[in-house]
This record gives sequence, structure tokens and C-alpha cells, in this order.
Amino acid sequence: MTHKEDLSDINKLISDIKQKKLITSYEIALKTEEIVEALISKRNWKHADELMDLIKLCIKFCTECLPQEATATNIMRHILKVIREEFEVVSKKKTEIQSLHQLVTANPNDVLDYTTPLKDLKMSLLDHLSEYKVELETSTDNIATQAAEHIHTNEIILTVGKSNLVEKFLKNAAKKRSINVIVLEQAPLYQGHEMAARLAKANIQTTIIPDSAVFAMMSRVNKVIIGTHTVLANGGLRAASGVHSIALAAKRYSVPVMVLSHMYKFSPIYSASHKQEAFNVMASPANVLPYSSGPILNKVQVLNPVFDYVPPELVTLFISHQGGNAPSYVYRLLSELYHQDDYYL
Amino acid sequence: MSNKSKELVQKENAVQAIIVVDTFDDEFLPLSNDIPHALLPLVNKPIIDYTLEFLSLGGIEETFLFCCTHIDAIKQHINKCVENAEEWTQTMKVNVVVSESCRSFGDCLRDLDAKGYLRGDFVLVEPGTISNINLLPLLEKHNKITKIDKGAAMTLIFQESGLGHISRCPKEEVLMATNSSGRVLFHKKLGTTRERKIEFPLEIFLENSTVSLRHNLKDTHISICSPAVLPLFSDNFDFQTRDDFVRGLLMNEEILGMTVYSNVLKGGQFGGAVTNWRTYQTLSHELKNNYVYPVQPSQKHNSFLKNDVIAGQNATISKSAKLNNVIMGDNVKIGENVDISNSFIFSNTKVEDNVTISLSIVGPNCLVKEKSKILAGTVLGKGVQIEKECFVEDALVQSTRPDELDSRDVLGKHAFRLVLDDNEPEDVVDLALARKLSRLHIDQNLGEESEDDGFSESEDERSSYTHSPAPDDTKLFFTEVIDSLTRGFEDKLQCDNLILEINSSRYAYNVTVKEVNFFVIKAILIMSLRQPMGPQYFSQLQRLLQYFVPILKNYLRNESAMLDCLQAVEDVATSNENLTEKWVMFVLQYFYDKDHVTEDAILKWYSTLDKKSNFHAQVKPFTDWLQEAEEASSSEDE
Repeated sequence: MTHKEDLSDINKLISDIKQKKLITSYEIALKTEEIVEALISKRNWKHADELMDLIKLCIKFCTECLPQEATATNIMRHILKVIREEFEVVSKKKTEIQSLHQLVTANPNDVLDYTTPLKDLKMSLLDHLSEYKVELETSTDNIATQAAEHIHTNEIILTVGKSNLVEKFLKNAAKKRSINVIVLEQAPLYQGHEMAARLAKANIQTTIIPDSAVFAMMSRVNKVIIGTHTVLANGGLRAASGVHSIALAAKRYSVPVMVLSHMYKFSPIYSASHKQEAFNVMASPANVLPYSSGPILNKVQVLNPVFDYVPPELVTLFISHQGGNAPSYVYRLLSELYHQDDYYL
Repeated sequence: MSNKSKELVQKENAVQAIIVVDTFDDEFLPLSNDIPHALLPLVNKPIIDYTLEFLSLGGIEETFLFCCTHIDAIKQHINKCVENAEEWTQTMKVNVVVSESCRSFGDCLRDLDAKGYLRGDFVLVEPGTISNINLLPLLEKHNKITKIDKGAAMTLIFQESGLGHISRCPKEEVLMATNSSGRVLFHKKLGTTRERKIEFPLEIFLENSTVSLRHNLKDTHISICSPAVLPLFSDNFDFQTRDDFVRGLLMNEEILGMTVYSNVLKGGQFGGAVTNWRTYQTLSHELKNNYVYPVQPSQKHNSFLKNDVIAGQNATISKSAKLNNVIMGDNVKIGENVDISNSFIFSNTKVEDNVTISLSIVGPNCLVKEKSKILAGTVLGKGVQIEKECFVEDALVQSTRPDELDSRDVLGKHAFRLVLDDNEPEDVVDLALARKLSRLHIDQNLGEESEDDGFSESEDERSSYTHSPAPDDTKLFFTEVIDSLTRGFEDKLQCDNLILEINSSRYAYNVTVKEVNFFVIKAILIMSLRQPMGPQYFSQLQRLLQYFVPILKNYLRNESAMLDCLQAVEDVATSNENLTEKWVMFVLQYFYDKDHVTEDAILKWYSTLDKKSNFHAQVKPFTDWLQEAEEASSSEDE
């Protein structure tokens, strides 16, 4: 029974995500951080191990209920790493710079015992988390300020669907340079329409094209800049359906594909990870073939996948608040973000 | 329970919903004897779970689950869900309200009104509803409407669904007229009536500048209600169902001062309810095809096999079994060379070798022994055992012995055919029709051919129907007119009263003005023919016509009426061969002289006659005389 009580906050988070009260990944990230912060400050935990078990339980529960939602679990996974680091710092066992020699000669039995209760751990954790929160809050701006480095004057940029991050990035670029943006409408939800309207409002030269026209337009495009749902461990993307074809067209015309991503979108999972539910979600086919279309619906089965898998070789660059990274470097970012032991829970 | 749910209860303006769990009908017999409707498995998950999941996703915070039968089973199920911390229990508080005395949907709402649980606008969900609608915007919209129209009692939620779609259960066909703000002006469920003709009151077109008539809708069985709905149910004891309520409100709009609005869902929003086996089947189909996303059957629990086959946990299926579009529950055992198509097999059922099952529902814990055939619309209740080489078609089978039993209905030790008695004789036709419509369900799925045939057939019927009125009614009208005229002549009644009488029968039989003219004249002429054809005849006829002058004056007002009159003359003359030229001449002369018909009308009518016919020759002398007279008069004028 205690477990169930423990998870009520997480349950609330999950139902909020399901009910679409939290829509953007940014909102989910902030909320998750707040929940974990509250969990650390209010709960009665005796030592780091207990706290980590609690968070691990939350992660497991989250992945079970929302197998496709990576943001919340990534935030929690990162906090696990934070706890480990802080524990080492507070217990003063941490050697700041690990040389290769130290790694090799280290005694394998010399593992940290997280069950040692530490008095200052809570305070230092909360300090670190408030820093982390600031990092989350400024992440979007940090990414957007890099726009001028990547976009040059009179370039034609192609983007797809709606992404707050991409929108801010492009607007920032437009402040200093004159750019031309082509937006794909992204059927069947047509979120591209809203994106185009917002860009046009900011006085950016915007053209909206249907998804099918992407190959015809690609030859004139200088850069493809997109957002993504998740960055997988191999540098591939789980992005909105339709992005794969764009990336392929870009490859054909050697147009660089830049993916804007917050750090919390980098996940240690693969497109077919162990113990993972289906990679994709099938949404209601009603948006593809309206429910009112009549007898045809009796005879066909319509699949409406939400995501596309984009292999890493189609991505040129990831832009996070730490700067640009190639897909082959994602493994390194992951090891900075999360502890090896927490990759698969 | 956590503190959260306590908070929820105390929250003053929690969004509330009512689910009525009982269907109060026998659609699901014999299964509904053992399993409550709410717990019927739909793709291996109880229907109520879908409903609760939908409500919690839709933003509802407090739900009243009203049940009258199988109370313990439902309570147990809800408690189990709470214990397992199902997702919906986190955001929604479910109260089970029990009343064993309720006999209808309306009774339940009256009971709830008495208990006074509901505070503001609420969502009313009929039994078996499955949907993925976000309810909050709809509640908001309803709230906005009530601010403009204080009398708005209910918003009905509909979903667009094209003709020929399987989700359109013929029993639930809806025809609706709304004005531009979505107010329902006319609402009719077409399914259970045999009426082939629907009349819209003229006022709805006179009072509204735009009226949309919709037949492309499917009822989602979800409605947003104002607090006034429950007292309205209490005040009107004859409201048994929600449809009664809507009908009552529309009929007594002026008296009650209440209005009903409608809302049609857009995009990926879906709604529907399991009300009979047909809708059970369509909703299974739609759940399988993800139309209710994000409400889904459990992916973990079910294995999705090829050929549209879904199996629950621990199902044993032999390799030689041929399965097509089957949904199976847990622990189902399928033997060798079994052929199952378009059917539902519930949990713990064993199907032995060489059995054929098609278009049927096999309940839980059943045993179907070797070489049996179960076909076309059969429903096996819980625990039925079908003996070896048994053949069952279109039957309801239960395992317990019913009280009254015909020896023909015994199929085995644990298999008895269930015969439903239709209690009210005057409703037999309707009930049987309704039953057929809700049963047919699976048959129509057989293939496109039958479906397309059904479609075109119905269209033909419709078009032919508009061309020729139903003959029976007009014939009845005619005999009635003759009766009243004869009686009027014999009893020397006032002609004005006779006119009234004819007019009222005109409305009763729904006869057009043209037909009235035609039949009245024909009736008078036919009456005259009852007299012997002697020298006295013409004076008799004259007396008769003289007596009915006010009637003739009343009906023969314009040229088209005169043409009808002349047609009647033609009709009588051609159908009675012993009528001579003299008779025709006399009648026409009489009508002409008394100004009942004008010269123009006669000539116009004459020109339409078939020149070769005998009748044409009979009329010719008269028209010749007319034309001569006219020439003479015109030459005189000059």
C-alpha cells in the first residue's frame, strides 16, 4: 500500500500528460522536476539508496504507463545521476579527475555504499536541483541564441510541423538575418499551419507546402531545421511521422539536417530496446480517413502512426544548449547525463 | 485511499458525471442473466472500464455509477479497480449508487434527483458508452449556451457517420433538425417504427431562417445536462429513456420552456455505446482499429494474431484451426480443424475438434463438443454445453432449464433454447422489428454484396414511394367519402357539415387536395349510378347534384380543381360501360350550365383525351357545340 501512496504525484503527472493538460515537453520537464524536488524535500528518506529506489520506482511506473513518453523519465534519470554525484561530493569520496591509471588500478570492491546516511545530502541536493531547474528554464533561450551561428543571410530553411523551440530559433535568426522559411503542413494534424502563421506574424518570409511537395522543394533548401520527440541512444530520432521522408529527401540533395533538442530529450533507449513496448503509437485513423466516409471503413484497416524512426545517418547535427554535436557523439552526451547503471531500469 | 481522493470529494465544483449501468432491456439475454451489462468483456476488458477511462480522460472528477441489478458484482469490480490503482481512480472519484426499485433509465434519474448529489452541469452517460471525447470544452460550450438561452436543458452529442457504415445501427437511426445555433428543433429515432414517411412540423421552417436536417449522425449516448434535467425527469413520470425526455421536451417546448441543443463531434473524436449485439460487434471492430484512441484495449493482455484474430491470455489454439475475425477471451481452447469466423468466444470456453462457428457469440465457460455447428446469430449463455454433432442456428441458448419449456427447445443437458415472449400484443410488430434489427448485426457483415444490395434496395423503395401514394389510404378515403355523402343525402344533413367531415377524413388519410376533388366528384357520380337506369334517372341525378351544390362550389374553385372534376367524370364514364353518350352529355352540360366548370377547362381537358378512345367520341358532340357557341358569341361581339 505504501508504494501506491508514494506514486500519487507521479500518477497525477501521468494523467495530466494523458489528458493533454501538459502538452509540450518543456512543460512536462518542469513539472517532473518539481515533483522530484518535492519528493526529495518532503519525503522521509533515510539515505541516498532509499531515495534512489523511490525514484527508480517512479521511472518504472512512468515507462509502464507511458512507454512512448521519454521526457519525464529522462529528467528523473538525470536526477538519479545528480544524487550519485552529490553523494560522492558530500561523502568526500569523489576524486574529481579520474585518470585512466586510477580507473585501471581502482579496487572493484571499493564501491560506494549509498546506504550511509548523510546529513548534508538533502540540502546540497536541493541546491543542485534548483540549479538544474534554471538550466531547464534557460535551455530554450540558450539554444535559440545559437541561431546566428547556424543560419546565414538569405538562406532558405525548411521545417516541419509545430515546435516551440524551432519557432524561437528561427525568430532569433530573423532578428539578425533575413531568412526564408518553408513550413511543411504535416498531415494529418496540420500543425504546420499554426507554425507558419506564427512565423509570418514575426515578419519572416514564410511559405507553407504540402508534405508531398518536400522532394520538389528540397533542391532549393539550404538547411533543414526540425525538432524531435526523442533522441535515441544511437543518434536516431523518434520524430513526428513524415520526418523520415524529409530527412531522406535532404540526404538526396545533401542538405544538412539540424535537430534542435533539449538535453532531456536524449534517451538511453534504442528503436528496439529491451523490455520496451512498441516503438510507435497508432492514433485514431479518423484524421486520415474521416469517420463519416461511410461503407469503405467496413473493409479497410487504417494505420495512423504517430512517430517515424529517423536513422542517425540522416541527421547532420544535434543542437542542444551545450552547442552542436554529431549523432555519433550522442553516446558521450548520454554518459554525461545519466549514470551507466540507470540506463535500463 | 490517498488524501487525493478525499480532496476530490470536498472540492466544491468538481465536474460530475452520471453513468447508468443497467440497460433495462433483454438485448443481451441469456448472457445478461449471469454477467451484468457493464462487465461484458469487450475485446477482453469490461465495458465499464472503457467508460470510466473515458470519463477520467475527459476531465470528469466525480462519477455516480447507478446500478440496479448485479450490484455486488459491479461493486466488487470497482473496488478491485481502486485496489489495483487503475489510472482513472487517480483523478476521479467513483460513487456506486444503488437502488433496486428502479425499472427504467428515467427511474434512476428520478432517484438521483431525490438524493440531490449533483451540483451543477453534469455529463449523462448511457449504459455501455465508449468514447475518447474531451468533455471539458463541451461542458464549457453548454455553459455558454445556458447563459444565452436560460431554458437549455441538454446538449446531445452526435458523431458524423456516413450511410452504409457498420456503426450505423438501424435501430438507432437518427433524424434531426437543428437551427444555426445547434438547437434541436426535431429529433426522431427512426429505428423501431415502421413509418415510411416523416413529417416535419412546418413551424420549424417558418420560425428559423436556417434549418439543417441531418441524417448522417450517430448517437454517442453522451449528453451534457443542466441541473434542470433531473427535476424534469421527476416532474414527468412518463419519461422512461433519454429519447422520451428529448421528445417530451420538444413536444412541450412552450409549456416547459426547455430546449435541447446538439453538438457534432469533429476529427478524431469518437463516441458510441454498446446497446445490443450489433453495436457490440461494431465497437469491437472500432476498438481494434484504434478509432477510440487513446482509449484502447489492453495491449499487454491481448495477443493480436493475423486475420483480425485477438486472443486473451493462455489461449490454446490448434494449428489446424481456421480463424477469421474472431475475438477470444482468456483460457480459450480451440481444437483441431475448427472453423470460426466473425464470432466472439468468451473466456474459459472449450471448442472441440471439427466444430464450425460463424456469426455467433459463445459465452464464458461453455463447452462445444465435436462436429457441432453454431451458426448465424446464435448466442450461447454462460456454461452452455453443446452436445456432439448438434446444429444450432439463430437461437439464444442458456444452460439452466427455463420454467416453461417446449420439448423442441431442449438441445442438451445444459443447453436450452430461450424463447423471448413478446408481452404486449400491439407492440409485437415493433418489438420483433427492433429485435431483428439488433440481431441482424452480424449477418450484414457477411460481405459487401449483401450490404450493397440492401442499400440499393432501400433506395429503390424510397424513390418509388415518393411517386405513387400508398393506394390503401386513398381507397379508404374514397369509401369514407361515399359513405358520408350517402348518409348526408339520405338524412338531409347540412352540406357544410359534410364538407367538414370530408376534410377531416382527408387529413386522417393524408390525401392531397387534387385527390379530394377527384374523389368527391367521383363519389357523387357513383352514388347516382346506384339508381336504376330508367327514365327517372336523369331527374334523380339532377336532384342529387342540386343537393350537393354547396359541396361542389366548395371544392371546384379553380381551373385545376375543374380538371380534377372532369377527370372524375372521365373515370366514371370509362369504368362503367353501360353509360351512354347521353349521360356524358348531360353531366357535362349540367356542370357547364351551373358554372361548376368553365368552357376553357373543358376544352383543355378535351385536348388531353386520347383521340381514339370511345370516350373521346362521346365528348366530341358537346365540345363541338361549345366551340360553335363560342364562335357564334364572338362573331356576335364583332
